[in-house]
Amino acid sequence: MSSPTEMLADLTDALWQWLPEQRWFAGKDRPVLGVTVVRTTTLRGHNGGGDDPELLHAVIAVDQGGAEPDHYQLLLGLRRELPEHLGHAWVATGDSRAVYDATHDPGLTARLLELIAHNSEIDGLRFVTEPGAEVDAVHRSRPVGVEQSHTSLIYGHAYILKLFRRLMTGPSPDLELHRALDAVGCPHIAAPLGAIEGRLDGASVTLGMLNEYLPNTADGWAMATASIRDLLAETESSAAGAHPEDVGGDFASEAHRLGNAVATVHRDLARALGRTEAGSGELPRVAAGMHRRLDAVLASVPSLAEHETALRAAFDQVAALSGPVTVQRAHGDLHLGQVLRAVTGWVLIDFEGEPAAPLAERIEPVSPLRDVAGMLRSFDYAAHHMLIGETEPGPHSDAAREWAGRNQQAFCDGYAEGGEDPRSQPALLRAFELDKAVYEVGYEYANRPAWLPIPLAAIARIAGHHDL
Amino acid sequence: MSTDKRHEVQPDLEGVPHTGEATLPDGHLVEPQADEFRRARAAPSDPAWFKRAVFYEVLVRAFRDDDGNGSGDLRGLTSKLDYLRWLGVDCLWLPPFYASPLRDGGYDISDFRAVLPEFGTVDDFVVLLDEAHRRGIRVVTDLVMNHTSEAHPWFQESRRDPEGPYGDFYVWSDDGSPYPDARIIFVDTEGSNWTYDPVRGQFYWHRFFSHQPDLNFENPEVGEAMIDVLRFWLDLGIDGFRLDAVPYLFEEEGTDCENLPRTHEFLKRCRKVVDDEYPDRVLLAEANQWPTDVVEYFGDPATGGDECHMAFHFPLMPRIFMAVRRESRFPISEILAQTPAIPSGTQWGIFLRNHDELTLEMVTDEERDYMYAEYASDPRMKANIGIRRRLAPLLDNDRNQLELFTAMLLSLPGSPVLYYGDEIGMGDNIWLGDRDSVRTPMQWTPDRNAGFSLCDPGRIYLPVIMDPVYGYQSVNIEAQSNSSQSLLNWTRRMIQVRHQHPAFGLGEFSELDSSNPSVLAYARRWGAPGSTDERHDMVICVNNLSRFPQPVELELSEHAGEVLVELTGGVHFPPVGELPYLLTLPGHGFYWFEVVASERDREAV
Repeated sequence: MSSPTEMLADLTDALWQWLPEQRWFAGKDRPVLGVTVVRTTTLRGHNGGGDDPELLHAVIAVDQGGAEPDHYQLLLGLRRELPEHLGHAWVATGDSRAVYDATHDPGLTARLLELIAHNSEIDGLRFVTEPGAEVDAVHRSRPVGVEQSHTSLIYGHAYILKLFRRLMTGPSPDLELHRALDAVGCPHIAAPLGAIEGRLDGASVTLGMLNEYLPNTADGWAMATASIRDLLAETESSAAGAHPEDVGGDFASEAHRLGNAVATVHRDLARALGRTEAGSGELPRVAAGMHRRLDAVLASVPSLAEHETALRAAFDQVAALSGPVTVQRAHGDLHLGQVLRAVTGWVLIDFEGEPAAPLAERIEPVSPLRDVAGMLRSFDYAAHHMLIGETEPGPHSDAAREWAGRNQQAFCDGYAEGGEDPRSQPALLRAFELDKAVYEVGYEYANRPAWLPIPLAAIARIAGHHDL
Repeated sequence: MSTDKRHEVQPDLEGVPHTGEATLPDGHLVEPQADEFRRARAAPSDPAWFKRAVFYEVLVRAFRDDDGNGSGDLRGLTSKLDYLRWLGVDCLWLPPFYASPLRDGGYDISDFRAVLPEFGTVDDFVVLLDEAHRRGIRVVTDLVMNHTSEAHPWFQESRRDPEGPYGDFYVWSDDGSPYPDARIIFVDTEGSNWTYDPVRGQFYWHRFFSHQPDLNFENPEVGEAMIDVLRFWLDLGIDGFRLDAVPYLFEEEGTDCENLPRTHEFLKRCRKVVDDEYPDRVLLAEANQWPTDVVEYFGDPATGGDECHMAFHFPLMPRIFMAVRRESRFPISEILAQTPAIPSGTQWGIFLRNHDELTLEMVTDEERDYMYAEYASDPRMKANIGIRRRLAPLLDNDRNQLELFTAMLLSLPGSPVLYYGDEIGMGDNIWLGDRDSVRTPMQWTPDRNAGFSLCDPGRIYLPVIMDPVYGYQSVNIEAQSNSSQSLLNWTRRMIQVRHQHPAFGLGEFSELDSSNPSVLAYARRWGAPGSTDERHDMVICVNNLSRFPQPVELELSEHAGEVLVELTGGVHFPPVGELPYLLTLPGHGFYWFEVVASERDREAV
């Protein structure tokens, strides 16, 4: 029998096929040119007796023609016979054993929790419990349904383990910010309880993060959608149209609480990691970045051209601002899908920053208004996404715009109770919103052309009015 | 609290036993004793009955008029016990039926040992109890321990003769200055907790209306007298008391005079009397406060609870209404998560509506505005701090919502309390004063006076509901009992299902994970999970709070291999697997499932 690394090396053709089908695979837009096995570690060996499954940890390098290959983390199970309920997890067959995605096998994932609970180290993989935390290894896991860039396992009703798939060397902002916020007692996060860390290319890499599991949550997008749906139905049953403040599903009180939670997280991040007054070069630099992103999107999306003048003007206004601007670590990719309504209030998740950006950019201190702008844009998206395909303005679009406006204001009101009112820097906030909308235009143009009118209409509206 | 002034003085108790018919040489009033009356047979022995029971609140005045004088009475209620048994009611809760000038809906009691003459007599009450017990139905009633009517002979004696045996029965003061930190509860009508009495020339203390002087529990004789009142009714066979306004019994300088330790001590004393002398009877606390404060009234958890057996969960009710209007489970999830565990021998009472307004004291200002906007579009619908409407009009008479609300009432943790008439979707009359809007006569038939009374319609205590939607011609017991699809028959069926599953009354409550914010799902578990013991029961309740159809994925993997059986029809749903369990619900739909071990158990042979 060959070593696990050799065995896997023989299966790279199969991995080649399998990888692009995985939701978390980041390189779907480019062909895979090569797959190599970087390292493997046996986390659970074959203990003799029957068809006892093995658990293998693997890091592979995927060449897609870039300067550097992308690294991915795999957890693979090995069994002579794959039970029917694991059939969908099959990857390949090697050494007359089925190789399958072990995250679907609770019998194997239990081992990960056990290793974290015991602060184990295997072959350079460090499984650690956070200082002061206690992890109980008895829980059975299940995978979370739908996820983009990683795989999460929920253990009982106690823990959630996020396994990063595409690996980035250097400190993980997600783990770093969770730890920092936990250290200052921030109530709006799921407490970090453990981590899996290793080394790659001579640098440290975060492989996994274990957090307290918050049962029975709903994400902000689902909450907001329920509210919008209610409002749109009311506009149909009422001749006079419906206003968000008059209907039962009004979301403003939740938006207010959410604004307060975000302000609290910002305050706690500043407490933990500092907040500084950026130098005079900061705002011109920020504006230059906005112009640069605009250049790129303009090049591919012709319909954005009519807004170019207004957008440039808004960005130039930022460069010309004189006042000091405070910068600090922030969430970096905040929207309604990154907040969970838990029974006791709102919780922010996924502090990884903008996934497409390089690490150096993601850990830069920024104005917290960027997060606020992200949420404001998200309210606009939530309000309008159910109207896609409706071309004529009418009671629906009136109601959607009112909903977005009401909840954006409520969010800012809530934020202002826990921090500085974001509306006190209108030019900067507006520019961040426009910058985000420009990004959305690029994204929608490439991926969901039907959604393009949402950011385009927002740009017309925001750039056309100089007040929020 | 009614401002009705039909009776300004002690109602005429001539010819029936009452307090003060004679006076002993030492000045004490002679009071009726239980052994002067018949006693009702006992209900079947069952110490935990109140944890499983379905309660039904009925106003004696509103249910059935036996003597044709236009007002319901005890004999009328007795004549309708077969209906209540058919419906599946386990216990009646009667608001006060004692002698009273009726300036506060009977909560102003002028004789604890006499029945209001228009309702009948103590003998009529014993017949009601006896007939109810014969049908397995128990009866509890309100008892106000904190205060009496000013017409009560105790108060008349107290003001007349400060040195007599009743001189110290009430809280008197020369200047009305003590206890400045106690809030005024009825801010609309009262300017102070002290009122000057010209007869005695002193001020007396009252936490509620000025015509309701507070008893002085500092005086041990008062405590003894109240415990004797409990004994009087318990001896006749009553099954328990809802203790009105319990937080206010004692006063203490420098406090807000609410929830004081000595008040709890006194309740423990009452409880001991019940435990020692009257097993199976219950005390139910009325304390409109947050659950964390109300749990104090259950007493010491180490003993399983040594004060009240039950307490109402006030904050839950408005949040059920809020959650459905918001299409979000969080208002309910939040309040249940904030509800502490209660002692093993106790139970919450939960309700959707009762004889008072839908009270909004236990919500924030913002939530109150929301509730008014959503459920009281007409200012006339408001009363005090609440909404004076019945369940059906609150829900726009929407059958789906009526069923959803009732299903939640019957399945959330606590013993459900139905309000008379809501089982047929009775309407209200917001043109009537105060809370009379929800106290109109029960609608039995499409005949004259809705079959409530044979009197001249002009004599009836309140007009029957006659509007085109809720009027008695269409909404009545007779019509609905003849229609298999009626709300009445549906409600009855749901009560039956509840009775078949001890988990509803006795089970642990746990909310189930669901990522859909509009779906509230929970499990009720009784007995050891996974045990093969017959005495094990688990039900799962899934409620769609949205008007739109919704999918939900429930995490049930710990029940992999088990089967969900729908409780109203017995349909077997697909077995639970490792993956999340997918259900789809129609708008405002709900499911009740039993979790059974495996499909094989029920296969045809």
